[in-house]
Amino acid sequence: MKLSFSIALRFLRSNVLQTIIIILGIGIGVSVQIFIGSLIQGLQNSLVNSTIGNSSQITITASADNELLEDYTTLMQKAIDGGDSIINISPVLDNPAFLESGGASQSVVVRGFDRQKAEGIYKFSEYITEGAFPMNNGEVMLGTAIKDKYGLKIDDTISLITADKRTVVCRVSGFFDFKVAALNGSWCVTTIASAQEIFSIGDKVSAIEMQVASSEIFNADIIAENLRERLDNQGLRITDWKGQNEQLLSGLQGQSISSLMIQVFVMISVVLGIASVLAITVMQKSRQIGILKAMGIKSRQASLIFLSEGLMLGVFGALAGIAIGIGLSASFTAFALNPDGTPVIALYINSSFIMVSGLIAVLACLIAAMIPARRSSKLDPIDIIRNN
Amino acid sequence: MNNILELKNINKIYGSTIKTQVLNNINLSFESGSFNSIIGQSGSGKSTLLNIMGTLDKPSSGEVIINGINIARMTKNRLSEIRNKSIGFVFQFHYLLPEFTALENVLLPYRIENGAVTKEMREKAVEYMRLVGLEKVINNNSTKMSGGQQQRTAIARALINNPQIILADEPTGNLDSNSTETIYNLLRDINERYGTTFIIITHDRHIAEKADRIIEITDGKINLDIKKQ
Repeated sequence: MKLSFSIALRFLRSNVLQTIIIILGIGIGVSVQIFIGSLIQGLQNSLVNSTIGNSSQITITASADNELLEDYTTLMQKAIDGGDSIINISPVLDNPAFLESGGASQSVVVRGFDRQKAEGIYKFSEYITEGAFPMNNGEVMLGTAIKDKYGLKIDDTISLITADKRTVVCRVSGFFDFKVAALNGSWCVTTIASAQEIFSIGDKVSAIEMQVASSEIFNADIIAENLRERLDNQGLRITDWKGQNEQLLSGLQGQSISSLMIQVFVMISVVLGIASVLAITVMQKSRQIGILKAMGIKSRQASLIFLSEGLMLGVFGALAGIAIGIGLSASFTAFALNPDGTPVIALYINSSFIMVSGLIAVLACLIAAMIPARRSSKLDPIDIIRNN
Repeated sequence: MNNILELKNINKIYGSTIKTQVLNNINLSFESGSFNSIIGQSGSGKSTLLNIMGTLDKPSSGEVIINGINIARMTKNRLSEIRNKSIGFVFQFHYLLPEFTALENVLLPYRIENGAVTKEMREKAVEYMRLVGLEKVINNNSTKMSGGQQQRTAIARALINNPQIILADEPTGNLDSNSTETIYNLLRDINERYGTTFIIITHDRHIAEKADRIIEITDGKINLDIKKQ
């Protein structure tokens, strides 16, 4: 084994230029694989993130419209107990109302959150542009669209008119900008206790919202199904984002498949390239293999020489490919920019994907090296000796 | 003396449609420690005979017996082991590996069997290089040596595993007369010093006549077999 490896190393070193070209060839194949893979994954992540990253991915509501959930803390505990990669869980109380300020009015959704729990899903701290999240009853936080529309400032008061025609005056504690006009123009955020007081509702919520770990995001339907079985409550309706976003899902799937196709074909071309180059090196080195066999090297050792060459070329090719691939991805995010200077697609480095790509390349090189390894094992030394 | 190598009724036929008989019923035996030469015109079958003796080629019929063992039923791996341990080859065209230095080439047969090179073995290889007069160029790449130096390196390589038999095919074939003389004397010296059996193919009658035994092959048959007293 050691001898085969050291002979392989000598063979590779004896023609440095050829070796570098082969390594570069493998490296470029691997880098394209990594670049395209990372690009598509980055694109998917940013799409998924902007679509469902800041919203509920699995939602529990009462099965009947306008019904509320009563024993929601027990329900939440049961949902988490399943250990189903649910990373954020937060109760919310939603109610429609009219917002009135300075004689003008519009409809809003009053959303009562548990600040700490909701932070995981909505990341308020990132989106609050002014002031703070409501702390006390009678405080609300509004979107920047409403702020601009009514010329509101922190500590101004607005009136909320409920469906049963009651008017509740609230103080504005802060403003948020979720970068989505529909939310900035319709949400009126407050605490659960405050929402319950405004709408004269007891300790009830309208929904329990959940997010799953990002690695499990595409399994949200399975997790929702598990929840359904575990909670086994006739009065509940459990929905997941996949059921609500079929178009996005099929778009993502199309992307995944096309990216996989590209990667598979790149890999096939790399394997064919390595196989043909290694086949040529057997021809180049057949004289040496013949001499070694005449001196008593066994067929297995002779095959190991080319498998070792394949392994070394694969490892160095994969390393070069990873470096070039990450470089390509980084330069793409550095140079392909939106008008506001942010990258078109954020740099996404998935280390396990990169490792797997590298390993596949090494494996592919080993498989490609099997053809020359077989040829060298079958090479008869007498053919070399007789024909000089 | 006992026979180290025996050939019984060896025939070698090439081709299936047009058959060419290269060796015709050869019977030979070689005593351990003897110094033999095989001469013959080019195309007479002497190289084929040497390759059969060295287990590189297979006879169409007949038996090759090395150390009293018929090699016919041996596996490829067993034959490789015999070539590695019991036989040393010196070919006309040196056949050194250009990727390795002279010393590394000498050590290759040892490494094939044992893997890593011990300090003692390295010293032994250097000693053999000294024996063939090449101690100053042990670290030269084999491509940067003269033909004579390469051939002497090949001889040192053939010796490294202390083989019982050394088969040499025109070892001085493309060397000048001075180098030819040096190499012949070297082989003779090794034969006397280590008791190694030599079977040397040569077309140089002058060299052949210095051997203990001269075998002449003509058209695949033994034409002459003279032993010196």
